[in-house]
Amino acid sequence: MLFSSVPFLFYFLPCVLLVYFLVPGTLKNGVLLLASLLFYGWGEPRYLLVMLAAIAQGYVFGLLIEKSRGKRRAGLYLALSVLLSLGTLVYFKYADFMIRNLNALTGLSVPLLSLALPVGISFYTFQILSYTVDVYRGTVPAQRNLIDLAAYIAMFPQLIAGPIVRYSDIAPELRSRTHTLSDAAAGTRRFVLGLAKKILFANLLGELVSGFRASQEQTVLYAWLGAAAFTLQIYYDFSGYSDMAIGLGLILGFHFPENFRYPYCAGSITEFWRRWHISLGSWFRDYLYIPLGGNRKGKGRQLLNILLVWLATGLWHGADWTFVLWGLLYAALLTVEKLFLLRGLKKLRVLNHIYVLLFVTLGFVLFDADSIRDAATSVCAMFGGGGLPLVGQESLYALRSGAVLLLSAAVGATPLLRRLITAAQQKTAGRAVLAVLEPVGLCLLLAVCTAFLVDGSFNPFLYFRF
Amino acid sequence: MEKQKNLAVVCLTAAFLLGFLLWGLCKPDDAVSVSERRKLAQKPELTLSSVLRGEFMTKFETYTLDQFPLRDSFRRLKAVTLLDVLQEKDNNGIYLADGYAAKLDPSIDEASVQHAADRFQLVYDRYLAGTDAKVFAAVIPDKNAFLARQNGYPAYDPADLSALLAQSMPYASMIDLTPALSQDSYYHTDLHWRQEALLPVARTMAEALGVTLTEDYETITADQPFYGVYCGQSALPLKPEPLRYLTNDTLRGCTVYDYETGSELPVYDLQQLAGEDAYAVFLSGSKALLTITNPAAKTDRELVVFRDSFASSLTPLLAGAYAKITLVDIRYLQPERLGTWLTFDTQDVLFLYSAPVLNSSETIR
Repeated sequence: MLFSSVPFLFYFLPCVLLVYFLVPGTLKNGVLLLASLLFYGWGEPRYLLVMLAAIAQGYVFGLLIEKSRGKRRAGLYLALSVLLSLGTLVYFKYADFMIRNLNALTGLSVPLLSLALPVGISFYTFQILSYTVDVYRGTVPAQRNLIDLAAYIAMFPQLIAGPIVRYSDIAPELRSRTHTLSDAAAGTRRFVLGLAKKILFANLLGELVSGFRASQEQTVLYAWLGAAAFTLQIYYDFSGYSDMAIGLGLILGFHFPENFRYPYCAGSITEFWRRWHISLGSWFRDYLYIPLGGNRKGKGRQLLNILLVWLATGLWHGADWTFVLWGLLYAALLTVEKLFLLRGLKKLRVLNHIYVLLFVTLGFVLFDADSIRDAATSVCAMFGGGGLPLVGQESLYALRSGAVLLLSAAVGATPLLRRLITAAQQKTAGRAVLAVLEPVGLCLLLAVCTAFLVDGSFNPFLYFRF
Repeated sequence: MEKQKNLAVVCLTAAFLLGFLLWGLCKPDDAVSVSERRKLAQKPELTLSSVLRGEFMTKFETYTLDQFPLRDSFRRLKAVTLLDVLQEKDNNGIYLADGYAAKLDPSIDEASVQHAADRFQLVYDRYLAGTDAKVFAAVIPDKNAFLARQNGYPAYDPADLSALLAQSMPYASMIDLTPALSQDSYYHTDLHWRQEALLPVARTMAEALGVTLTEDYETITADQPFYGVYCGQSALPLKPEPLRYLTNDTLRGCTVYDYETGSELPVYDLQQLAGEDAYAVFLSGSKALLTITNPAAKTDRELVVFRDSFASSLTPLLAGAYAKITLVDIRYLQPERLGTWLTFDTQDVLFLYSAPVLNSSETIR
């Protein structure tokens, strides 16, 4: 089920919240689990079993690991759990990629499995991995209540597109949590703003991108417009989903980690990845980079670890060479920054932002392309390769028609609005105005989002496919 | 103050979501959307197999969108937000310029034009080659041709599309209709042309076909205001406009035969004026195969028109010059089956298609 859909907003959410707040505290996790299974099963009834099996193995191995703590068997149980988790992920996500490459390398004709990717598998697999590893490390005790663990893994707000919430982040809240008016209001605000980010920005930017893809016009302007629109679209799409997840979490009494902090304002690629998909970056840091040795085993090993982490990051996003290359691009940029560029970038005020935006945009061209060849063609077009004309009537129209959207999306990706609101809150008059404007504005925003949904077509979240 | 604000945020949002949930549950389902001219989705049947196949969920989503309370008002709110707040230049591909609503169609889809040409070639090869039929073709420009570029909207040149079609129809003489048209020739809110503005087109056509027309018509304005198809698609409160049709004694004497139903129809089907699409007043709208017979004809010449809906309003103006006009719409009739009803020998044959249909010709069989 999509957050940005009428069945979710006007049927599922009000009903679930009503039941959730009516039942006593001891039943809340049960309600949450049932709602989450319905939420997941709504779109993927077939793959409910896959998720339930993943939950079951996480539960059983968590208990076995804890029972064998300090013994060799604990490591064996962890290895088995990791193998099962990653095995399932590899089977559904990477099998065809591997078969295609095997066929290409050997000339064999091994038939493809053509499996549909279970939605959110990359996210919940990583949550189960973090849980079993943390139990093994002794960071958290194993969860003895199956319903509580299942409610954590399947929790609908963050189930299918993150943020990747670690068990340790919310274990205390799973046991007991408080529900306050201020959290509910903050959650509602966050949810509605996230919904607006998705519907009013991401979807409309997506239409601009679709127009570019469908057009027969090939011009430098259109290539840049398409790339810029996609770069903004993916930010609004993914951060909008994270906002909605965090907001729903707050309403339900959970405090999920932040996932985005204005990434396009970063002054270096290193900083960009501290602001973009933070929960994934920190997951790879804690469960891959540091176990590989991190920066503790010399420069050469550190650089190799960076390469491995970014290969994994690229592959996590998709089973295609474009994603591998996308990961390698970031490995290269982060290595260069670590070796010498970072100090220089810190002294710059504008050029460093241009550098970040340029490489992030080029990265997303690669990320969005169907093949490396297509990506090369797009990048070539952006720089006028092949003598492409600068502008054409369609690109000029797209620019004129999308100018306000692009500009407001660009401004909205900076903390400017947030700073203005913070400044207004410092003054009594500002607080009074906001006290009226905020509830009315949010309701109006919800009405406008509803209007776009009612008139719109199906726009699934980009990150569902990962 | 913070507490009151928080309370207001939570209560207003909850009231909005719960209010529309209850309204949606209590509201009786609508059967059709008048503004969009389509049937609305109805509540899907809940069965285990439809749930397991995911079919129920997909249908339920469509159902909730189609039956959402205040649907038309919400669609209008979206259009206004898009056009007035975000300053986008079109909504759902419909733009407004010079008081007209038109649909964006920026470039020629060569494959689509070729598909249409291939189907026409099949008709020619199967029925016309080796006969004495004289074959003509004409492309009806969309109103974009007179509106788009002048107002900063992208559009292709209809002459290019016409030239592309002509390359694949060497057996046909092309008739250029553009000089006989202007933006005034079209409805403000619909894609079609206005019959009362088509006399120059009929004249151009007659000259090319080598026939003489009667141009003595009385203009009748329909009682009902006309809301064109772009009213619903744009979701904007566009003003209705008058729908007029031209008639005279010759047309009043003509009979129209519908091969599909085996029944006679009027040239102007006035009952359609109160229906979903008032333009269907012209020859009763979408029909696969019709014949207009003119008992007062002073000639035995016959015309066969392969056509789309634009021809419905034009062909009555040619009726006076022919004893019989046959209209064939190969979007609704496989051309391979045409021989069952028609024999081609010495007729004039006209392929008359609008640019939008040729540029999106997947419906041509």
